[in-house]
Amino acid sequence: MQLHSAQFPVLSLILLVCLAGLAAVVLLPAEKKQAVKYVSTVCSAVTLGLSVYVFVAYDRALGGMQFVEHLQWAPSLGVSYINGVDGFSVPLLLLTGIVFFTGVLTMWEHDLRVKEFFAMFILLVTGVFGMFMALDLFFLFVWYDVSLFPMYLLIVIWGSTNREYGALKLTLFLLAGSALILPGIVYLVAESGMGTFSLPALVNNADFSPFAQKLAFFLFYVGFGILAGVWPFHTWSPAGHVAAPTAVSMLHAGVLMKIGAFGILRVGMFLCPEGWAFWAPVMALLATIGIVYGALAGLRQTDLKFVIGYSSVSHMGVVGLGLAAMTVDGVNGAVFQMFAHGVMTALFFSAVGYIYDKTHERKFANLGGLSHVMPVAGGYFILAALTGIGVPCLASFWAELLVLLAAFDVYPVYGAVAVSALAINALFILRVVEKTCFGPVNPKWEHLPDVSFGLGMPRLVLAGVIVIFGIMPFLMYETIQSASMLLISGLP
Amino acid sequence: MTNWTLFAPELFMLAAAGLFFVLSLSRPQPARDYAVARVAAAVGLSLTAWAVGAEGVLFAGTYRVDLFSQVFKVLITTGFFLVICLCAELSGVADKRHSEFYLLLAVCTLALMLLTSCVHLLAIYLALELSSYSLYILVCLRRGREKGLESGLKYFIIGACASALMLFGFALLYGTGLSLHLADLARELPGRIHEPVVLIGFVLGLSGFLFKIAAFPFHFWAPEVYEAAPNQAAAYIATVSKAGGIAVLMRITAAAGAGGDQLVGFLMVVSVASMTLGNLAAIAQQDLKRLLAFSSVAHAGYVMIAILSFNAMGLSSGVFYALSLLVMKLTCFMIVIQVSSGGSNIKINDLAGLHIRAPVLAAALMLALFGLAGIPPTIGFTAKLLVFTAAVESGYLWLVIVAMINVVISLYYYLQVLKAAYFLEPKESAPPVRVPASLNFLALVLIFLTVAAGIYPRPFIAAAQAMTFGIIG
Repeated sequence: MQLHSAQFPVLSLILLVCLAGLAAVVLLPAEKKQAVKYVSTVCSAVTLGLSVYVFVAYDRALGGMQFVEHLQWAPSLGVSYINGVDGFSVPLLLLTGIVFFTGVLTMWEHDLRVKEFFAMFILLVTGVFGMFMALDLFFLFVWYDVSLFPMYLLIVIWGSTNREYGALKLTLFLLAGSALILPGIVYLVAESGMGTFSLPALVNNADFSPFAQKLAFFLFYVGFGILAGVWPFHTWSPAGHVAAPTAVSMLHAGVLMKIGAFGILRVGMFLCPEGWAFWAPVMALLATIGIVYGALAGLRQTDLKFVIGYSSVSHMGVVGLGLAAMTVDGVNGAVFQMFAHGVMTALFFSAVGYIYDKTHERKFANLGGLSHVMPVAGGYFILAALTGIGVPCLASFWAELLVLLAAFDVYPVYGAVAVSALAINALFILRVVEKTCFGPVNPKWEHLPDVSFGLGMPRLVLAGVIVIFGIMPFLMYETIQSASMLLISGLP
Repeated sequence: MTNWTLFAPELFMLAAAGLFFVLSLSRPQPARDYAVARVAAAVGLSLTAWAVGAEGVLFAGTYRVDLFSQVFKVLITTGFFLVICLCAELSGVADKRHSEFYLLLAVCTLALMLLTSCVHLLAIYLALELSSYSLYILVCLRRGREKGLESGLKYFIIGACASALMLFGFALLYGTGLSLHLADLARELPGRIHEPVVLIGFVLGLSGFLFKIAAFPFHFWAPEVYEAAPNQAAAYIATVSKAGGIAVLMRITAAAGAGGDQLVGFLMVVSVASMTLGNLAAIAQQDLKRLLAFSSVAHAGYVMIAILSFNAMGLSSGVFYALSLLVMKLTCFMIVIQVSSGGSNIKINDLAGLHIRAPVLAAALMLALFGLAGIPPTIGFTAKLLVFTAAVESGYLWLVIVAMINVVISLYYYLQVLKAAYFLEPKESAPPVRVPASLNFLALVLIFLTVAAGIYPRPFIAAAQAMTFGIIG
């Protein structure tokens, strides 16, 4: 793992902007709802700008870890504050910036306990940003949990359907995941005998025994896999997504599940390549089951948010399958899919959120003809659906293509099963679109207003990102490639 | 020649106890007693802080003043001071008994301070009994005394049994020709810990301390006592008394060197049973103090992991854990005390709407709960991380996984409390929560400590390492 120091600590600046935004929101009086929203918007816009900067300024030819910052933190414990990004984390930082910004804008009309909502929301995002850039296992774990614990209150206070159950289940599941990750980290650090939590030092110098790698990888795979929605640990995900308020669903399905997959990649695969090779067949099997299960379970759903929830399980299965292939294409596709699915699912939840806000109805059988009533909002919904089923020239297409190509190479049977499941799911999603947006207009919704320009903004941004990376996938592909080449070529 | 300045903090605490004794003879004046107590506690704290660097040996080698004892004394007097600060409305205790309440607190604090310094088993026994006897009476001071008396008696009987077992253990150790001086014991014990009599003697000898920190199998008293004691006394038992217990337990077990398989096995049973029983029982609790009691039992289990690791990391993590428990439990009890009206007990649902009724306290409670559950970025997480690192260094990965499963179980009931504070609507009849500015400030300080020590533990770890270096001498 090569480290290239930063001229200017732009990564820490992202965290600082988040923390400053958090502090400002906490200090503002609760009555000043508008001010809270403006502060959050500015904070999210600045972080988006910085993450775009990182994405553009990352030197793809150079590769390795860039923008690295290093600070001694607790030497006696072996903890240092190291941040850095490579071709895997750069796209995910960008994703976080986009979803943060659009999430805040989506909640613009939100009126209940505004100050607390945005404080929690920003805290959560800070954790996500930190997790994607941390190169020290201590900080990585801290940020990981920081991004989880606001979740409970966010869902239980501001959520909807069955929120107490959904929130509790989600929190307990995810914390059970970190209950496996922490022993894994501590075990590897002790096993290395180096007394350091620094990821670069461990990757470059530690010599873990095959047994240690297998054991630790298992802990990481299950621990992070719970958050990544790996079947059979996914059951929290549909319940949690349905219960959560729109912006939280966006962030959760869009970004938080990626944290899980990213954790497997960053911690598991970087530190335990032999463990990765050992467990890859199991990963591939579980991922394929996840793809099929998500697709089939989606068929039975009548609630729009459940449909998206189960399609997330399916799409995260694609990520898992790509990682299990252990090839450059597979890893490229997996990371690309993390990004594409993040943007797509954010758009999906955001579109459904608008429809629900207006109609208070999420059963698609009771909707209908929404394209006539609200053509713009309906358009976003359709675009998200098309991206979800992997229509060419939209971002997900390239990601799924890469993963499936890699899978056919390594696991031809799983690849074939996955493709058929995705095709079935695609048909179903098209039916959902038809029932929701086309057909006769339900007279109950005739008078509803279309999405205004201001509220449409976040959806427009997300749609734009989907199209840009769909037409120019090489922008993303080259970035990821710079990291995956290194990772795969470094395998024993 | 005895250097009495080494003993100054203890002497001051003794004088304070004497002062309260005199006050208890005069006409009861709660306001005056409270003011005197605050001053006494503040002076005691500053005196202890001033003496933190002192080193020396007193009383024919039975009393050792070193960094370990002095830092623990600072923790103990800080806890004492903070508990006194929460006594502004000591409505759980009859007015005429206030001075006696402070008297007993001061005596117990004195005993705990002695406990951290004693390096002779009999001296330790005496100090332990002195602190326990003060607490037995404190528990009974609750207004409407039947419940208090019953639980005080239960506390006393279990305590007496534990003491008897402990004395028997010491006698066995002495009978096998081992010294009662910890320093001598530390030289001889590691080589002989495999002898059955020595092992049994040592394990029995630990029972008094297990009782003190409410570890299995001496945990039965905790829920009843917490429930029946005046809220402030429960706060004291949960925080200050625990810190003293952890300190002495660490000193004694450090004498066992690397421990040996049987001893470690026994301690593992204690640890796993404590945390599992504590967490499972806590799920069913509605009374907040009972819940905190069972959570204390669980935390005793986590502390045992630090101790049974028998390495340097384990010792320093034990110190850090004691600090974290002090901070987090005190925060929880601060909320219990402020929310309860007239010193009554509160149920979890009485916290409903706390985020409106007292926003700063609610935020402090949230952080304390996450800390107790061991979630970053709080002091509780860093403490657990240190403990787990110590355990893995000794090769007990499975124990860490068991502990983490327990952490997830515990999260369930901590979330119930959090849900009440942040989600439930306050009842119309809910009495207002009066939070004076000074308490808001205290809450902010505790919040700061919880987070700061969580993300920047460096100074605390350095201090803990310095303290535990040469803990036996």
